[in-house]
Amino acid sequence: MTGYVIRRLVGMVPVVLGTTLLIFAAVYALPGDPIKALAGPGRVLSPSVEDALRERFHLDQPLWSQYGHYLGGLVRGDLGIDLQGQEVSALVARAWPYTLQLGLTAWAIMAVVGISLGTFAGMRQGGTVDWVVLTGTTVVVGVPYFVVAYVAQILLGVNLGWFPTSGVREGWPASYLLPAAVLALFGIPELVRLTRASIIENRYADYVDTAIAKGLPHRMIVVRHILRNSLVPVVSVLGLSLGYMVSGTVLIEGIFNIPGLGYVVFNGISQQNGPVVVGVCSLLVLVYLMINLLVDIVYGLLDPRISLAGRR
Amino acid sequence: MTGIPASSVRRTRPGQRRVAAALAAVSMVVVAACAGQSSATDGDQTFSVGIPTFFVQNLTPGSSGSSYVDYAIWSPLTRVDGQSGKLEMLVAESIESTDNVNWTVKLKSGWTFHDGSPVTAQSFADSWNATALGANALTGNASMAILAGYAAMNPPKGKPAAKELSGVKVVDDSTLTVTLAEPNALLPYILSATAFAPLPSGATKDLKKFGTHPIGNGPFKTSGWDTGAQDIKLERYDGYAGTKATAAEVDLHVYQQTGAIYTDFQAGTIDLALLDGADLSKAKKDTPEQVVDVQYPAVVYLSFPLYDSRFANPQLRTAISMAIDREAIVKSLLAGNAKTATGLAPPTLTGGGEAKCDGCAYDPQQAKAALQAAGGWNGPMTLYTYQDPTNEKVLQAIANQLRTNLGIEKVTFEAQPIAQLYEGFAGKSIKGPSLLYSGSPYPHIYAMADQMFSTGAPLNVTGYDSKSFAGSLARAASSKDPNSTTTFAKQAADQALADLPVAPLYWPLGGLVHSDKLSGVVPEVLGGARLSVVKAG
Repeated sequence: MTGYVIRRLVGMVPVVLGTTLLIFAAVYALPGDPIKALAGPGRVLSPSVEDALRERFHLDQPLWSQYGHYLGGLVRGDLGIDLQGQEVSALVARAWPYTLQLGLTAWAIMAVVGISLGTFAGMRQGGTVDWVVLTGTTVVVGVPYFVVAYVAQILLGVNLGWFPTSGVREGWPASYLLPAAVLALFGIPELVRLTRASIIENRYADYVDTAIAKGLPHRMIVVRHILRNSLVPVVSVLGLSLGYMVSGTVLIEGIFNIPGLGYVVFNGISQQNGPVVVGVCSLLVLVYLMINLLVDIVYGLLDPRISLAGRR
Repeated sequence: MTGIPASSVRRTRPGQRRVAAALAAVSMVVVAACAGQSSATDGDQTFSVGIPTFFVQNLTPGSSGSSYVDYAIWSPLTRVDGQSGKLEMLVAESIESTDNVNWTVKLKSGWTFHDGSPVTAQSFADSWNATALGANALTGNASMAILAGYAAMNPPKGKPAAKELSGVKVVDDSTLTVTLAEPNALLPYILSATAFAPLPSGATKDLKKFGTHPIGNGPFKTSGWDTGAQDIKLERYDGYAGTKATAAEVDLHVYQQTGAIYTDFQAGTIDLALLDGADLSKAKKDTPEQVVDVQYPAVVYLSFPLYDSRFANPQLRTAISMAIDREAIVKSLLAGNAKTATGLAPPTLTGGGEAKCDGCAYDPQQAKAALQAAGGWNGPMTLYTYQDPTNEKVLQAIANQLRTNLGIEKVTFEAQPIAQLYEGFAGKSIKGPSLLYSGSPYPHIYAMADQMFSTGAPLNVTGYDSKSFAGSLARAASSKDPNSTTTFAKQAADQALADLPVAPLYWPLGGLVHSDKLSGVVPEVLGGARLSVVKAG
């Protein structure tokens, strides 16, 4: 097991290096001049300031050399400074907690709602509950993200006043519930359908019949036997969607004015702020990889038949 | 969704706390709410303002953009009143010159920075020198170019020959002599921008930190914030030597996307915000009595690439300009949040308002005639603008009007990132009319005319180069009395409008929406609210 984890961690190094280079090159290839854009619309920087800024950020040098400077800094644990002179590591350190709170809240909502609905629907296959859940998830899939976000904001925030409309002023959980629910809503359909299908598959398995024959209570049969065995495919989706929840917050953070990583990336891209975009994106890649590893380990715990040592 | 009456907006306020209260934040929220209500006496009023992030990105004078937050923290030598457009002395006692080149600035006594240290002539010299030094990379560097010695500090190539402006000399604590690179009668106006505010001693040691931890000399002080902060508190500075602020405290709520600002206003979270576009239209419908009009000191216009021979004929430019139905664009596309431009600068600018501009009128008949006189148009025409939803909408309408009114069959349009578009102008690769915005750095028609039409000026994207225009503008700059300065500046603008290197389209409007607990909401000179006079409760 330990050997497996170490092998996986070492394997991450080239992946992270490759992605940073790719993202770096992509930002570099964006049209327009980031330094000129710093002045703002309808304003112009003087040449001396442009030169000073170009030199400070090595923008007067070719791509490979810029990337070299960046990697050099990275090795020293320095994520660089952004075009406004802020340290990227400080920027990320400030933004992380917000995104993490939002992502984890959304993920928890998604997991609880998704698995329960899926289980209910699966156990009552063909019934009214099943039909309502299936139709509901189809509708959710069909509505664009931001529509739900704005409607929720106006309806629940402005008109009913149940939640703050935006910002993180009231802290966790009040400020995070609404955006997290909206974010969760879009992971739920997949989870519901997967859980439902998995439950249906396992419901008629021999071991369930055995459990019923033994006279176990219904609740125990569902939770201990059917659900546990149905969770293996669900866990992989849950794991990956945790990564998605943390990284897919750009739009939601914008609408609900949450100063997290999504906001940092959004600003970074619009200002062609290379160090910021590369820094944050590499971090997100790392999170994804770690979650993937975690998922594989949890697999083994849920189903002892899956051996990690065998997956060379 | 839009028709929410004012009363229901207000009523939601206590309700908003419901979830928070239910979820463990009970004590804190309740205490805070009670404290806010009970102490709302005349002496300690507070109110909250929704602002976009870039307002608080960097408050160093040399990087400030004269936003209304800048004016809350900084008090420059002069100020221009947002309503009357009149120039007043602020920190300056007098600003005088006999030749418009050599100026003597006398300071009032008693002005202090928020740390208690006095504002002296040296504070202004320090600030201007710091901004003029290219290595400091302050974005307002170019505004120091009017001062003598700027060129030596900012050579086109190589190391600067000087580290300080030769044109700025401190005579004593309260006297400063200023020499300009060229005569300019409008120096007192120019000095009203926060780019020319003073710096306390020691500020230049860490300008990066100073940008978010400013020690200013304005009506409000702050203990600073981290980039990305959403809550910034401004407190009344009781040692302020000017008219002290009415409110004891102003809470700035910072938004990354301006769309959330109006939603929060509706929910009662913020008391004041500057809106435009769809949000402003909504606000005017929901709470019309709580919206104060703001005329931006700006013009939206269509520029012609004079360097492209196809646009060299003034008749063709007239044809295009007269084929555009400005009234229809303002009414139906912009929902009335603009005024049709009948001259170069909006009426709130000194010398602005209606001017002689034959090409500014909508007349499809005359437009067609002018096109014929110019010899017609062959082939496709591409229109350009920078990426902005409103601009793209307006440009599409213009393309349609040119098709209909001039019979030009193939009119396409292209929206580019703003930096790329301006690079295109510099490289003369933009081969079509472009929809652009020009904001005046100080409220005088001279500023607008100078930046758009002077040869080599930063916003002269057309390549316009007119001796007659330059002559009038130079006469305006060297006039001894303010009225003739304005007259000559208007003359220069009239010349430019006759030559029509650009077709003015409309003057954009914004609106300050405020809760019913606020009164005394008046616009600051370059848009936004004058925070120091707002009354709460």
